[in-house]
Amino acid sequence: MPQLDTSTWFTTIMTMLPTLYLITQLKLLNTNHYQPPPTKNSNLQSHGIRWQPKWTKTCLPLSQPQQS
Amino acid sequence: MNENLFTPFSTPTILNQPATIPIILFPAMLVLTSKHPINNRLATTQQNLTQLILKQMMTTHNAKGQTWSLMLMSLITFIAMTNLLGLLPYSFTPTTQLSMNLAMAIPLWTGTVMVGLRFKTKNFLAHLLPQGTPTPLIPMLVVIETISLLIQPVALAVRLTANITAGHLLMHLIGNAALALSTTNLSLTLLTSTLLALLTVLEIAVALIQAYVFTLLVSLYLHNNT
Repeated sequence: MPQLDTSTWFTTIMTMLPTLYLITQLKLLNTNHYQPPPTKNSNLQSHGIRWQPKWTKTCLPLSQPQQS
Repeated sequence: MNENLFTPFSTPTILNQPATIPIILFPAMLVLTSKHPINNRLATTQQNLTQLILKQMMTTHNAKGQTWSLMLMSLITFIAMTNLLGLLPYSFTPTTQLSMNLAMAIPLWTGTVMVGLRFKTKNFLAHLLPQGTPTPLIPMLVVIETISLLIQPVALAVRLTANITAGHLLMHLIGNAALALSTTNLSLTLLTSTLLALLTVLEIAVALIQAYVFTLLVSLYLHNNT
C-alpha cells in the first residue's frame, strides 16, 4: 500500500501543518462578518388607514338592509 | 492488478519533486477573504456557511471550549475542501495519506486530553470508570477504559483514511468495470447509474468530515465540561 511508504511522510506532514494551522486559520480570521444594518422601524400606522370606519358600511350579502 | 489499483494513492511527483506541497496548499487558497460589507454571491454563501457551521458546532460548549472554535472551524474547512476536491477525476486527495491524518489526529486529541487533565483532573480520571460497576470488575474496567481512550486518535486517523481511500477505490473499480462492459451494452447503464449514485453518496465525504470534527468535538466536550 503506498500510504505506508514512510519516505513521503515528512513532506506531507510538514506541508499540512502550516496549511492547517496557519493559512486556513488566517483566512478564516480575515473574513469580516458584518452585522446586518439595523432596520429603522418606521411607523406605518400614520399612513395606514386613510378613511375612518364609520364612513363605510360593509354589507354582508344575506344580511338585512341597514337603516341607512 | 494490485499495483495499478493503488497508484492513485501514492504521493504525486512532478519531475521527482514532490507535488504534494501545492496540492495540500491549494484548498486553503479557495477560501475567500474580503473586507467589503456586501460581497458577491460566492463570498456571501461561504460566509453564511461558515457562520452556520460555527453556530452548529460551538453552541454546546462553554466559554473554555469555545476558545477552540477557530481551530475546529479551520479543521472542518480544510478536510471538507480537501475531500471534495478529491472527488474530481485524476486528482490526489491528501486525506488518503495516513501520515497526514495521524498528524492531524494525534496533536488535537492530545490537546483535549491535556486540557481535561489540567483543569478538571478528578472529573477526567473519574471517566475511566463507569458508574455502578461491581467492585471485583474495577481493575479490568479501568484498563479497558484507558485502552478505549488511547485508541481515540488512532481511530480518528484510520477512520478518515480508510473511508476516503475505500470510496475512491470503489469509484475506480466501478468505473473500470463500466468501461469494460461498454461493449456489451446490457449492464452498462446499470453500472454507470450505480457509479453515479455512488458518487453522490460519496459526497457524503462531507458528512465524514462532519464525523471527524464531531468525534473530535465529543472528546473535547467530555474533557472540558463534564
